[in-house]
Amino acid sequence: MIKRKYTKINDFLEDASFKNWVVQNNGTDISFWEFWILNNPDKKELVNKAKDLVLGVSFDKNFVSKEKVAFEWKKLETKIQVKKIKQQRKVRFLKPLSIAASILLLISLGFYVANFYTKVTHKTNYGEILNIKLLDGSDVTLNSNSRLSYYKNESRKVWLSGEAFFQVDKKVETNAKFWVLTNDLSVEVYGTSFNVNTKKKKTAVFLEEGKVWLKLKNGVDKKMIPGNYVSYSAKKNEILEDITIFNPTLKTSWKDGSLFFDNLSLEKAMEKIEESYGYAIVFKDETSKKTVITGAVPITNIDICIQAIEKSVDVKIIKKDSSLIISKK
Amino acid sequence: MIRLFLLLLKNILSLIYYMEKLTDKFIWKSLKEGDLNAFSVLFETYYPKLHSYGLKISKDADVTEDTLQDFFLYVYEHRENLSDLDVIAPYLFTSYKRFLLRVMKKNEKLIYTDAPDETFVDLKFTAEELLTNQETESFKNRNLSTLLNKLPKRQREAIYLKYYSDLKATEISEIMGINYQSVVNTLHKAIKSLKEEIAILKLFN
Repeated sequence: MIKRKYTKINDFLEDASFKNWVVQNNGTDISFWEFWILNNPDKKELVNKAKDLVLGVSFDKNFVSKEKVAFEWKKLETKIQVKKIKQQRKVRFLKPLSIAASILLLISLGFYVANFYTKVTHKTNYGEILNIKLLDGSDVTLNSNSRLSYYKNESRKVWLSGEAFFQVDKKVETNAKFWVLTNDLSVEVYGTSFNVNTKKKKTAVFLEEGKVWLKLKNGVDKKMIPGNYVSYSAKKNEILEDITIFNPTLKTSWKDGSLFFDNLSLEKAMEKIEESYGYAIVFKDETSKKTVITGAVPITNIDICIQAIEKSVDVKIIKKDSSLIISKK
Repeated sequence: MIRLFLLLLKNILSLIYYMEKLTDKFIWKSLKEGDLNAFSVLFETYYPKLHSYGLKISKDADVTEDTLQDFFLYVYEHRENLSDLDVIAPYLFTSYKRFLLRVMKKNEKLIYTDAPDETFVDLKFTAEELLTNQETESFKNRNLSTLLNKLPKRQREAIYLKYYSDLKATEISEIMGINYQSVVNTLHKAIKSLKEEIAILKLFN
């Protein structure tokens, strides 16, 4: 009683000895509180308020009699017993039903929980480009023959194999990072657009705008600025390319459905076609390999693509099974 | 010997404390398991208070008693779906009020076309149910009940729950859906304005 701290009005209202003092009931409590109030003049207002509340209004309470309550209880008890007997008859039919319902509920609940931790995977075939909107609002364009996966509860952390272009929404309020993980490195992002390509046993990142950090598998952190193109192989443990590209379309045009070739040898250009469509490339002669090509070709339609190449350079391309055979005209 | 006695006393005290703390929780848990004895304890404890409360709201003994029967039957039948409770009073008062108001509204609809939808019930006090204390000794209860009935509805309901139903401010806050401090303030405002009115009336008498 005496050890207690009295700071809030609640402390007084819930205190039995305080009530005793208010109604001047118990000698010890009365002297205790008179002493306490004398020593705590700053609490006078609170004490008066609490006293008012304890005194309040007094009612001449007129509750129903014990007999009445007992009578009402008997009435209720009879109703309960009658219902029980009626229900026992019903239960026989209801039981299998309710069991089925609970199982159904459990299954759907399981699905819901599983759904939360589900891995979502988007996969593209050759010649296919997929636009994905992630749960956090970020846009991803997935190039052909690529795979992007993430867990529903952690949609700002994605695994990539293949090639994808990211437009990450900045989360200003939480400053939440976005992660792209590949076999070679992880890209740490706040909000920007960039391209990641893991084809050819390396990961190449091209930053279009914003700022990203690469965390390479060997532990090195690398900061990138817009225009930077970095490729790294974890197997070889080395940075293969670190250049600045001033024409971003060269690296990111695929997302709009076309590949740009800027004074590229046909051999190099056909490597890109191979990546996109999955056809094996066979050159019949060395001259066609060395031919230089400039222009754009579609990456979702192989026939138009072949026509476009045939038109811009002097070669003949034959599509046979899963190969493209290239020869001089 | 004395030490043993003190130890025993300490144990008994903690047991009493424990019981008091657990009673509501325990009764509720037993009820949920279908224990009819626990339910009868609950019924006997809360029936009188709910009866007065219902009578105050409906002003009709038949309606009150019928709805109480239906309400308690409802509680028992739905016991398995009820959430766990540490204190029972707020749940019973709130649910019963809602239950009763729904019935009253239904009955009223037969007579009037539209009944007002109110969150705070309109409780009126009579001179007979008020006790005189030192403050109001020389003061007629009739005047006090008139003053009480002049208070806003919220304040009247808070006063009723506090001084008639003997509920704690924390419980009242749950029933009225306002926070603890608001309950205390509402009560204090009511008591203060009562005191002021009494003082003014005394001056003129």
